[in-house]
Amino acid sequence: MEFTLLWAAVTGAAALWVGTKIWDTDAPDDYFDRLLAGALVGLVVGRLAAMLAQGVNPVTNPLEFIVIRGGVSTPAAAAGSVGWLLWSSRHDIAKLDALASAALLGLAGWHAGCLWRGACLGTASDLPWAWSSPTSDVTRHPVELYAALLLVVAAITVGGLGRRVLLKSGAALALAGLARLATEPMRPSLTGGPVGWYVLAIVVGLGVVIWGGHIGRWVEKRAPT
Amino acid sequence: MIIAALAIVLSACGADGDTGSNLREDLPPITAEEFEAHIETVNRPVVVNVWASWCLPCRSEAPLLNEAFAAYGDRVEFIGIDVQDNQAGAKLFLEEFGLDFDHFFDRGREIPNAYGGIGTPITFFFAPGGQLVNTHNGVVDERTLALNIDELLARG
Repeated sequence: MEFTLLWAAVTGAAALWVGTKIWDTDAPDDYFDRLLAGALVGLVVGRLAAMLAQGVNPVTNPLEFIVIRGGVSTPAAAAGSVGWLLWSSRHDIAKLDALASAALLGLAGWHAGCLWRGACLGTASDLPWAWSSPTSDVTRHPVELYAALLLVVAAITVGGLGRRVLLKSGAALALAGLARLATEPMRPSLTGGPVGWYVLAIVVGLGVVIWGGHIGRWVEKRAPT
Repeated sequence: MIIAALAIVLSACGADGDTGSNLREDLPPITAEEFEAHIETVNRPVVVNVWASWCLPCRSEAPLLNEAFAAYGDRVEFIGIDVQDNQAGAKLFLEEFGLDFDHFFDRGREIPNAYGGIGTPITFFFAPGGQLVNTHNGVVDERTLALNIDELLARG
């Protein structure tokens, strides 16, 4: 893994840790561990999904897994992280809500880690705060910092929500999708980006906000004792 | 579950078979001087990817280059430089990934050495007329590739 990516990951983990200290009401004992494990599961699932999408067989080419710069599927990584958090919280599903704000802050830290990677810049812009790379005169949106800022606002917003079961979790998912969707047009892309997946995250998140109580009871009923 | 997983793995393995490398002609050899003379004559931006069939990260970025070629091939010239390789391996690589732009053979690494590239893969970004704008050493991700192409196009 490239060292700049590692620094971005460390920034994300540090922000996650800060989040666990700010929003520790009703938090489970293994608060930070659960979230960090969720991020790692997301990374593994996202990288495997990207390899499969590129036609690379992970069984016959296992070493390619470590070429993280080769691509990590954001939707698959998000699904992996959310899936892990759901599974690890199956006995106390309401505790997921205690993780929501810290998870958003960790995500904000990962985006802000673009500063170490030199990867903050997006599409060209003449706005006063737009900046350029050292080798260019073309000024650009610092799009990853926009995303980080939106995610910090989302974390604070979610932290202030009520205690209804899965309300914070659903809102966090929807707002994370919204932050990515809002900034996607400012990211240079070959394909336009996974916009449909961001919309899906918003829809699922809103669904969880509305039916959180029913979902929580359903999951806990099926969890093995 | 196990049978289903095995079926997926085996079907994926099927794509790794002999894809008929003898169908392609040998890659034309090129020197650094010839390359420089060539890109000076190109009147649009040029993306030059340095690769080798033995290079693991090159396999990861090959599908991305195909996507970039499909999206920007009408406005940007794409060139592949195969280094420190053999023709048989190079042809198998190109067959496997279907990279349909022009590729040249540079066994001695003259071209990346001339432009200061380090390791393999490398991606060079040239403005029209052959001015080197940026060099990306190592595997290139979608954002970096798209941003650098956008940069070339923004310069006009």
